[in-house]
Amino acid sequence: MKGSLPKFELPQGTLDLLILRVVAQEPMHGYAIAQRIQQISRETLQVQQGSLYPALHRLENRKLLAAEWGATETGREAKFYKLTEKGRVQLKAETESWERLTDMVELFLKHGKGDRT
Amino acid sequence: MNWFRRLWQRERMESELDRELRFHMEAQAEEKVRGGMSEEDARRAVRLQFGGVTQLKEECRESRGTAWLEDFIQDLRFGARVLARAPGFSFTAIAVLALGIGVTTLAFSLYNLAALETIPVHDPARIVRIERRSPENVAPDVPYVSIAYYREHATTISAVMAAMQGSPVAIEGDEKRVEPEFVTANYFSELGGEAAAGRLFDAAHEDSEASNPAMVMSYRLWQQRFGGDPSVVGRTVLVGGKPATMIGVTARNFASLGTDQPDVWLPLTQISYFVEGSRKLSDPKFDGNILLWGRLASGASASQAAEELLGLTNQLRPLYPDVIWNQERILVTPGAHFFTEDGAAPFLALMWGLVLLVLVTACANLGGLLTARGAGRTHEIELRVQLGAGRLRLFRQLLTENLLLGLLGSLAALPLCFVALREALNYTEAPEWMSALPDWRVFTFAAAMGFFSALLFGLLPTLQMVQRKKGRRLWNQFIVCAQVGASCVLMIVAGLLVRATLHMVYAEPGFAYRDVVSIDPELGDHGFTAVAAQQYLDELNASLRNVPGVETAADVLSPPLVNRVVMMTSVKANGRRISMIYPNWVSAEFFETMRIPLLRGRTMRDGETGVVVISRSLAIARWPDEDPIGKAWNDKGDVVVGVVGDTRAMEMNNSDAKEVYFPVAKDRMAEMSVLVRTSGVSSDVLRKIKSASEGVDSRLRPSITPLRSGYAKTVTEVERVASIVSVLGGLATFLAVVGLLGLVSYAVAQRTKELAIRLALGAGRVEIVAAIARRFAVPVALGVALGVAGTAAISQLIRRALYGVSGVDPASYVGALAVLIAVLGLAAMLPIRRAFRIDIARILHFE
Repeated sequence: MKGSLPKFELPQGTLDLLILRVVAQEPMHGYAIAQRIQQISRETLQVQQGSLYPALHRLENRKLLAAEWGATETGREAKFYKLTEKGRVQLKAETESWERLTDMVELFLKHGKGDRT
Repeated sequence: MNWFRRLWQRERMESELDRELRFHMEAQAEEKVRGGMSEEDARRAVRLQFGGVTQLKEECRESRGTAWLEDFIQDLRFGARVLARAPGFSFTAIAVLALGIGVTTLAFSLYNLAALETIPVHDPARIVRIERRSPENVAPDVPYVSIAYYREHATTISAVMAAMQGSPVAIEGDEKRVEPEFVTANYFSELGGEAAAGRLFDAAHEDSEASNPAMVMSYRLWQQRFGGDPSVVGRTVLVGGKPATMIGVTARNFASLGTDQPDVWLPLTQISYFVEGSRKLSDPKFDGNILLWGRLASGASASQAAEELLGLTNQLRPLYPDVIWNQERILVTPGAHFFTEDGAAPFLALMWGLVLLVLVTACANLGGLLTARGAGRTHEIELRVQLGAGRLRLFRQLLTENLLLGLLGSLAALPLCFVALREALNYTEAPEWMSALPDWRVFTFAAAMGFFSALLFGLLPTLQMVQRKKGRRLWNQFIVCAQVGASCVLMIVAGLLVRATLHMVYAEPGFAYRDVVSIDPELGDHGFTAVAAQQYLDELNASLRNVPGVETAADVLSPPLVNRVVMMTSVKANGRRISMIYPNWVSAEFFETMRIPLLRGRTMRDGETGVVVISRSLAIARWPDEDPIGKAWNDKGDVVVGVVGDTRAMEMNNSDAKEVYFPVAKDRMAEMSVLVRTSGVSSDVLRKIKSASEGVDSRLRPSITPLRSGYAKTVTEVERVASIVSVLGGLATFLAVVGLLGLVSYAVAQRTKELAIRLALGAGRVEIVAAIARRFAVPVALGVALGVAGTAAISQLIRRALYGVSGVDPASYVGALAVLIAVLGLAAMLPIRRAFRIDIARILHFE
């Protein structure tokens, strides 16, 4: 296992946001999405297939993602997911609300630190 | 992709999911190989990392949103297999449900036919019934002056159709009279009625008084009286002695408006020809009994029509102040239904209640069956839980099994219901258009009944099965209690009705009807004024008294047993209302002719007014502690002069009947009939009476009916209701017996070991019977108590729905309870007796 940082559990609902964010750049298949998330998180996040695929199917069902079969660089057939217009709107909304939340949490944490010193 | 497409393309989705996951695994393995692992190791590592692929797939399916339905289909298949494996249980459960649902569906089908379904006429949605109301008056009929005025001036109504039932008439001199109906010439064309032979009325031929007398007959009469002979069309036929051309026959499934089923139709415009002297249409004083329907003009609503017709009525009032009521308003309601009577609500409510009780018994029975079966399946459930079945999943599966049972019960109920309904329709000679085939409403109803019975009574046993609890005692007791209670109510009501019938058949009605004949000359129909009627009646009486075999003759407004209309009134005395008083207007000879005993005072004298005679029960109810003679009956100056014996003359089955007799009133002279007492009704005497009464005025054809035949008819009607309820009671009791039999067997089977030990230890049989019986005694007793209390509580409703059935007749209660308890006792003893034959050694060894 690489890295010294311990793996941690993603808060509920965050995985959907990460998937949308990753897929927003270009259409991708499930394996690549998992790889990319792992890579961006500097190996801290290992997305289990057990949560990835149900999440993908759920997002597809909610029409936030659209799926299409296509060929990979190695010429194999894979299911590619891409962001729909509805998905783009959702991503924007969720990003904003997430930022507001983190800002607020940060504010509290800083405030707490200031008290102690 | 929408939800349905996803469901239908299930197989494609499955293979895609497969391919998607395989790609992921392979890609991951390849990377590991690139990292230096051997291919085999890489594959194994990936598989380990992936964990349960099946579970992963299941979660993907869940997130697709079709999982529950796929599960449901799977459960349904599984349920069908489980039911097929236990044919005995499945058959019993389905049969029990089919009986319960069948009875409810039958009742619903009848209601559906009569009140929900529109009759098969042209554009039924626009046909309306037009009636009138005022704060004091309720009448089904509309005055002819209004009808004629509406026809001329109404714009919201495109056609008015009027119909009036006439007095029965003889056809071709045949004494078996038929029911005529006078209708407007547009009646058949507006309803889209077709002819089976010849033609029906049309405006070009039958719309005027001067046109050729014509008649149309029903398909039924054509078949019964003329054997379907087509040559009868065009022939001249005597109707009540008047020649008329038989122009055609209605189609077999022709639906007439209203509940009357006429045998012949005559043009309303020709009424004064067929009923000689009739002034029904020309003189508002003789108006009455004409029912009115209309067809709404396109774009007009019922309320717009009501408003317009009210305006027209108000214009008429100054011209006809005697006919148009003050504050009269017009009621416009949907008209294309067989049955729209709102007065039948108590009767309908009672019937629904009784029918639902049968369903409750059936459902409780199902609950018992499921419980007993649940006990036999503990092992299976245990195994499935250990194999990892989720509790909710298991519950859902068992519930699906129950639903399947419920739906199969509904399915089995439909043919039962169809056969019973067909028989019922034949039995009651229902109109031909009424079909016993279930329509969508009946299907929906039956399915809903199956669904709810399975859900309600399957829920608790299923929950207990899933929770693997042993404590089912309370539930069992509830089931026994519900079954016994429901059967109890049904049995008592059946008992009440049977008793009422017997009472009617065997008790003396308070007057001697056997040798009395009623003669109704229908003077009002023939336009007789009061003076002319008085004169006619005097002559008729004199002529009849000369007939050999006739002892006495009397005038009466409402002849007992053969009266068509029953009048009822009530008075207020000492701050409470005395109801069910039947008024009648009679001449002095009435009491002698009917052999009603005079108990106190005297009867009225010839030509006397301002006096009344009351019956004994009325005297007791109104003046319990005083002498009624000389008391004022009302504030109009009528004084009580005599008290006579009670009779049940107006409604045979009403044992609470009270009578008040007024002297013949001048203004009702044309409505009077004549009663004669003979020394014995024979065809010879009847013939002589006929010729004597026809000799007085050759224009009239009085209907001559022996009271005996009216009596027989009334008895048949009450017997009919009593037999229906008895069947329901029998059915419920049968179900309760089967249910109790099952539950006691189950209880005995569960305690076989305990019984064996007790027997081995030398316990007495009585002791053991008592031990088992004790478990069931409490719920049975509670059920009986609830049943009795329930029946007593609805006894008022019973009385209102079925006159004269006393709601608190102790003999019926005791009789019904005795039968019920005896039958239940037998049902309980059977399995207990079997328990004694057990082989003690084998049982103990086995355990």
